[in-house]
Amino acid sequence: MRFDKALLIFRKDWREIRRNWQVIGPMIVVPLLLSVMLPVLIGLVPSFTSTQNSSTRDLESVLRGLPNNIREEVSGLSGQEIVFYIMISYFFAPFFLIIPVMASTVIASDSFAGEKERRTIEALLASPISDGELLLGKILVSFIPSMFVTFGSFIVYSTVVISTSAYVFGALVMPPLAVWIPMIFGLTPVLSLTAIGLTVIISSRVKGFREAQQISGLLLIPIIILVLGQVSGALILGPLIVGLLILVFAAIDLAVFVIGVRLFRREEILSKLA
Amino acid sequence: MPRNVAVEAEDLIRRFNSFTAVDRLSFRVDEGEVFGFLGPNGAGKTTTVRMLACLLSPSEGSCKIGGYDVSREPLKVREIVGLLTENPSLYEKLTAYENMDFFAEAYGLTDLQEKKSRIAELLEFFDLWERRNDKAGTFSKGMKQKLAIARALVHRPPVILLDEPTSGLDPESARSIRDLIKKLSSQDRSTILLCTHRLEDAEKLCSRVMIVNQGRSIIVGSITDLANRMGGQKVLLVTLKDTSLKTVEAVGSLPHVKEVVQASPNQLTITVDDFDSVTPLVVKSIVESGGMILTVNPLIPSLEDAYLKLIKEAKH
Ligand SMILES: Nc1ncnc2c1ncn2[C@@H]1O[C@H](COP(=O)(O)OP(=O)(O)O)[C@@H](O)[C@H]1O
Ligand SMILES: [Mg+2]
Repeated sequence: MRFDKALLIFRKDWREIRRNWQVIGPMIVVPLLLSVMLPVLIGLVPSFTSTQNSSTRDLESVLRGLPNNIREEVSGLSGQEIVFYIMISYFFAPFFLIIPVMASTVIASDSFAGEKERRTIEALLASPISDGELLLGKILVSFIPSMFVTFGSFIVYSTVVISTSAYVFGALVMPPLAVWIPMIFGLTPVLSLTAIGLTVIISSRVKGFREAQQISGLLLIPIIILVLGQVSGALILGPLIVGLLILVFAAIDLAVFVIGVRLFRREEILSKLA
Repeated sequence: MPRNVAVEAEDLIRRFNSFTAVDRLSFRVDEGEVFGFLGPNGAGKTTTVRMLACLLSPSEGSCKIGGYDVSREPLKVREIVGLLTENPSLYEKLTAYENMDFFAEAYGLTDLQEKKSRIAELLEFFDLWERRNDKAGTFSKGMKQKLAIARALVHRPPVILLDEPTSGLDPESARSIRDLIKKLSSQDRSTILLCTHRLEDAEKLCSRVMIVNQGRSIIVGSITDLANRMGGQKVLLVTLKDTSLKTVEAVGSLPHVKEVVQASPNQLTITVDDFDSVTPLVVKSIVESGGMILTVNPLIPSLEDAYLKLIKEAKH
């Protein structure tokens, strides 16, 4: 394995992707929406509705459903602050798992299935770059920008949350780092790798990058379940659950990559073009 | 002077499920030779080239390029082969220069100075230097084809595989590509295997040609060789005021007349062994049977006719 050849693929793919708005567009828009719009809306909207007492009753029922440790975290906060804190700390957390999955799926399907669809794969496969180098380069180009976008969104989100809370409540509210740090820097990488691995597998079966993208998008389903679980209070992303998810997805990554590498046989890729 | 064999295929077979696209092809291409692979669409040319370039594994049989076996040492084979794929296979969002640069490094030209000068040399040779900073997606078909050929040559491959280099091009671009290939083979003495469905390409460029159809080899030889062997049919085209059965029968019964066909109400095509000796006899017999001759034309068959006929025959 020559690392410089993998980097060569990485640089080439990145150059192509950078110029492709179909790929770059969603990678910028979705994270921005999630990291800026969500906290701003939640910070500002309750201040308009706070006079209605229905919201206090909702708040009480939500509070009753919370585990003890969270109830401790919010003790001493005002009603609106509690809603804001719970929303930005827990309810929105799973949305940040959507970002790496979406970003790496979009890039990986363009890089694998897209190269097949545009028929550029043939000259690439004819070159003396080995399967491993090719695969590594393409995984890197799907992984690195996704992580950039994810970490970037986290920084933007934290900044927006802090400034919104300062503006609305005159106090600093921060997401609990014990959950967010392992989630952003531990869970999103393994999740992103799962998405890439799945896309590699799917791309070897389908013709176009849109199909690859849609099928890999199925990975969003467990995340959406997680979102619903949070909202219903059935499941709260605590440090323990995040740790567990990291282990589970790391194991899935291993399996997915073993299958992906086995399916990635260059002598068969072209036989499925026609 | 014995020459080295650059490409050697033995009983190559490639199946797609139950369909056999390439059926026991064997051939050898000598070093420095321009070898043509001539056949209609679907003959199996691209499939064969893909096997030679290690892009598809053969179902059966073996193939060596520069002494390396495609199944056992594919990376070695890839290093010494330059491939023009059937589709230009260019990165349309990258510029001409970036396309060349990527493939130069992929093929191991890591020395910066050497890489730059090689790319400049090729882009100038193919008249693309002025457009080097334009995206390949903005190029015309002919320019894309030139860029794709330039890419195939970037690492000075001793063996060059060209799949339909002139297909889809207007006659002028096709001609300029042919001129470039000629220049290449005389300048660099590279071994070139050229796939084409155009007889013209084969006639103008190749020292030897293999005609393939439905995955099988029909005939191999030099162009003149093929013309002699295939162009055997000599036909007299006779136009009459009107034809009668009597005339057809009279001509048909002559010695050295192989076949008489009434091509249209007042035309006969008569296949003969030899023009000089048979033509007077044919004319005489038509006149004697009451036919009124308007014109008599000997048709010397072109290689093209022979090729088309051969392809048609092979279908049955
Ligand atoms: N990947 C494939 N799957 C199934 N059939 C194929 C595939 N590639 C080529 N074929 C079939 O093999 C035959 C030969 O194709 P090809 O090698 O492209 O011919 P040519 O290049 O001479 O036009 C065709 O009938 C084609 O449909
Ligand atoms: Mg073809």
